[in-house]
Amino acid sequence: MERWKVPAIHAVLICLAFMTLLPFFFTVNNIFRTRPEFDREFFSLPDCFKDLSQAVTAEEGETFEIENEEGEIVEAGSDEAISFNLRKAARGPRLAWRAIRPYMVNSLWVSAVTAFGVAMLGSVTAYILARYQFFGSRLTFLTIISTMMFPAVLTLVPSFLLVKKLGLLNTYWAMILPYIAGGQVFAIFVFRSFFAGLPEDLFESARIDGAGHFRIYWNLVLPLSKAAFSVVIIMNIIGTWNNFLWPFITNTEGKKHVVASGLFVLATSEHASNPATLYAAYAISSIPMLILFVYATRPFMRGMTSGAFKA
Amino acid sequence: MTIGHRTRATLVCYALLLPTLAMLAVFVFTPVIWAFSRSLFEFEIGAASRFVGLTNYQEYLGRDPTFLPSIANMLFLTLVAVFVQLTVPLIVAKLIHSLPRERWRYIYRLVFLIPTLVPGVAVMLIWQGMIYSDRGMLNEFLRGIGLASWATGWLANPRTALLAVAMIGLPFVGGFQVLIYYAGLSAIPESVNEAAAIEGCTGVGKFFRIDLPMVLSQLKLILILTIITGVQGFQHLLILTEGGPGFRTMVPGLWMYYNAFSFQRMGYACGIGVVLFAIVLGLTILNIKYFRSTEELQEAA
Repeated sequence: MERWKVPAIHAVLICLAFMTLLPFFFTVNNIFRTRPEFDREFFSLPDCFKDLSQAVTAEEGETFEIENEEGEIVEAGSDEAISFNLRKAARGPRLAWRAIRPYMVNSLWVSAVTAFGVAMLGSVTAYILARYQFFGSRLTFLTIISTMMFPAVLTLVPSFLLVKKLGLLNTYWAMILPYIAGGQVFAIFVFRSFFAGLPEDLFESARIDGAGHFRIYWNLVLPLSKAAFSVVIIMNIIGTWNNFLWPFITNTEGKKHVVASGLFVLATSEHASNPATLYAAYAISSIPMLILFVYATRPFMRGMTSGAFKA
Repeated sequence: MTIGHRTRATLVCYALLLPTLAMLAVFVFTPVIWAFSRSLFEFEIGAASRFVGLTNYQEYLGRDPTFLPSIANMLFLTLVAVFVQLTVPLIVAKLIHSLPRERWRYIYRLVFLIPTLVPGVAVMLIWQGMIYSDRGMLNEFLRGIGLASWATGWLANPRTALLAVAMIGLPFVGGFQVLIYYAGLSAIPESVNEAAAIEGCTGVGKFFRIDLPMVLSQLKLILILTIITGVQGFQHLLILTEGGPGFRTMVPGLWMYYNAFSFQRMGYACGIGVVLFAIVLGLTILNIKYFRSTEELQEAA
């Protein structure tokens, strides 16, 4: 490749990356800005940061203007100015955390139970379907996979009617049970192709040793399939975390909102008048996914492409 | 009574499959059947239902004032999405893939994945607040470069609303799509690349003659996924515009949502769902039939 090409490619990619991330830079910046700042000027760094850096680099005896608890402007030394501006910066995240903490707890609980259920049911079913041939095994697999052709839009309204009829509205189960039922299909697909690739000799010798289904599953399949499990669990958690519509419509009383539906509720509540709170809430709601991404980058990326079976 | 060894083994297998099958029967197959059966009824929750035959379909396809505009909007949004998803992420994947050092290729793939970590609802609300509000980034930018008269409520203005929705996500470098295309490019055998290099086939020419035919499977996958999302997706419109102003950004899925959860017309909403299912199914079959993947091309050759 010619020498100029590599820097040129970098330049194009950096430009595109900057544009892609621009809304998120603004989000982070706006966490620390007050409503008046926001109204005064759209592009600007937070006042509290500027004041903070001035206070930190202040010389002996310099004074600053800060607001006291009654909202009056008073003179203060640099130490007080530092703590005032830190408190000012933390105000958005603090209010946001107070508002979305229950949603975060609900989301964590629903995602954890769903991922556990999907991994359990999916792996057991895939183990049977991948390693045993019996009357109707192929038909069973095709039936399970065929559910992929029903789009969510077809079943949205009838699923709501069903959940209502079962008396599950406004409970965690209204989310967890349909999520497990739908999510296991993709899991079965991933697990089955993984389990089918394991050498038959292992299973053969385990059976000769007299191991039953449970022992084979627990001592053989589980330890060998950590990669498949991490992909399934991560993809499932992402899906649950991002699902907005279903929690939004099944929480008719609004008490069991998860992060996604809660953010929408928040954006249409009295908090909307304070942009810092909203933007902090968006940022906080992304932190668990960020942790997951940093902690499990490779399975995360493998999971993204695992759905790319031949369409 | 004696049961044969094989029969017993089969029964054990089915017993282990039972939880999965039961969950599917209740939470997947029941709603699918209900979607079709309830679409033949007129009913509200709690009230008596009345069998009306195909009246719901006749009304939706014949008399519903939103039908034609919403289908047109859906087509527009889907076509834009298909166009950008088949081009931009592929070009970005190709650029990343042609970097000589693996370290940088990895970093870029990670960077473009970052937006997928933010919940979709938050992404929509961020775009709404920053780009499209009167004091948003776009309007402030226009004022900044002296085009103040162009500044408008992009989502509220009937003339710009649909285009504004279509432009969300600019520059359209989806991390997921980049990864898919990148995987396709990485799977091209080294022998093919070497042969191309010996023949003097490089750069743009190589991209069209070698790379593009080799990632047809990935293009086909993204095409199908984008179409399915385009036909049935409406959550972003519920957040951004509620289908307005007027019906300027109404799509069939959103109309189904309103019929079910605002107007309590459950049977009618099920009917709209079935119509959308038919559209998705039809387009998917067309896709599978007429869009040939790399493997099929190789077999044909």
